[in-house]
Amino acid sequence: MAFPSDDNVIIGLNRADDAGVYQISEDLALIQTVDFFTPIVDDPYWFGQIAAANALSDVYAMGGTPKTAMNIVAFPAGEMDLAILRQIIQGGIDKLKEAGVVLIGGHSIKDKQIKYGLSVTGIIHPDRVLSKKNLRPGDRLVLTKPLGTGVINTAIKAAIAPEQLAQKVTFLMAALNREAARIMAGFDISACTDVTGSGLLGHLAEMVDGSGASLKIESGRVPVIAQALEFASMGLIPMGAYKNKEFHEKRIAITKTVPRNLQDLLFDPQTSGGLLISVRADQTTGLLAALKAAGIEDAAQIGEIIDLKEEKIWVV
Amino acid sequence: MKKIDARGLECPQPVLKTKSTLQEDKPENIKVLIDNSASQQNVQRFLESQGYQTASGLEGTCYFVIGSYDFAPAAPLLPAKDRSTDAEKILVMCTSDRIGYGDDMLGLKLMINFLRTLKEMGDELWRLVFVNNGVKLTIQGSEVLEDLKAYETAGLNILVCGTCLDHFNLLKKKQTGQTTNMLDIVTAMQLADKVITI
Repeated sequence: MAFPSDDNVIIGLNRADDAGVYQISEDLALIQTVDFFTPIVDDPYWFGQIAAANALSDVYAMGGTPKTAMNIVAFPAGEMDLAILRQIIQGGIDKLKEAGVVLIGGHSIKDKQIKYGLSVTGIIHPDRVLSKKNLRPGDRLVLTKPLGTGVINTAIKAAIAPEQLAQKVTFLMAALNREAARIMAGFDISACTDVTGSGLLGHLAEMVDGSGASLKIESGRVPVIAQALEFASMGLIPMGAYKNKEFHEKRIAITKTVPRNLQDLLFDPQTSGGLLISVRADQTTGLLAALKAAGIEDAAQIGEIIDLKEEKIWVV
Repeated sequence: MKKIDARGLECPQPVLKTKSTLQEDKPENIKVLIDNSASQQNVQRFLESQGYQTASGLEGTCYFVIGSYDFAPAAPLLPAKDRSTDAEKILVMCTSDRIGYGDDMLGLKLMINFLRTLKEMGDELWRLVFVNNGVKLTIQGSEVLEDLKAYETAGLNILVCGTCLDHFNLLKKKQTGQTTNMLDIVTAMQLADKVITI
């Protein structure tokens, strides 16, 4: 399909990234993104918070600053109490407030299935756009949130996850990537994306595609939610994880010593996951220290970009 | 053979249906029918986690998993690490942060001394596992933290129980070793030539 474009499009559909970027002057570009989904937690207020954190994340992953947002709502009006919708939207507004973003409109339709999300607009200097496809050999990869939300959400659906764990994962999904993005702006970053539905390895595969480099991932260093390993061993793995694996496994080589439940988590689809950052090697320690000092304690170096030119991902 | 028809059910329902069947009565032989490959793999993982030996396949458009409980334990999920020597594999499990009962201060001193002296086992020391109070040896402020880190750098595989860390609210304070679960610990025990529990 041929996508319409013009000279001001910095990032459009021709090289799909986390968000679209459109230059409007010499020193200003717009970042635009939209994301919405069906409820992933039972509490409507927290669902609203998570949906907003997730939609904002794409702007942070581009290195930008989100400014305005519009609601996208589908709700079974007439069949379900409108108080539920109010709580969802309140959750979204509170998260936007935390991010310093204003809600300036939106649109709702009547639908059997609740859906909520936002269209977010941000700004960035055209020279500071962080694509996900600019990997630089020698760089180290840093991940800022632990993996496992897909598996834990499946365990919650199966009603076998303890309440405390469900709460922990809710907080994790609702946590903004704003601080991580603010901190990385002070370092020499070559590429960035956020980990969502494609799982860690799926997003890495998108990054490595067309890069002319290879990735080496040290699975033992990848931050994971401990209980997600147990639930994965029990087969509480969402369908999406298998699809991610099937879709991307051609360019991924996993050493046999990597436990199967950990492999599962590497493909686990994440909701509002962390940032995946490619940082200059000698700045990795500094970046990690700054992230941890800001309370992003799960941040870890998970691998490096190597010069093999096979566009493959090696997981050891 | 006990048969479960979980076709038409979405994840995680086939696993739950299998689970509730096993809770009523653990059959020696079980066959689960499902209609997609993801559910098949999930049910297979579940049966294996419950100690079943499994096989799976496709009959027409119907996926199935069969499990038997009377066989030898399932094949290990964690293959042994490649080792350059034929050294014996010794797994040491620390269930507490001190050795023995009586004087706690003495017990702690003994444990520190024990962990530092472990290196005398040389190449045969294969895995170090920390459970219950033992996980406190792997966190910030532990007197043996530097020693454990040195072991890890030297290639020793250190496993720290995730459930225990979570119980003591120490998940974020762990400074060394790999957070792990009971299945990995059990598999490691199975693979070890010798297990020493302290």
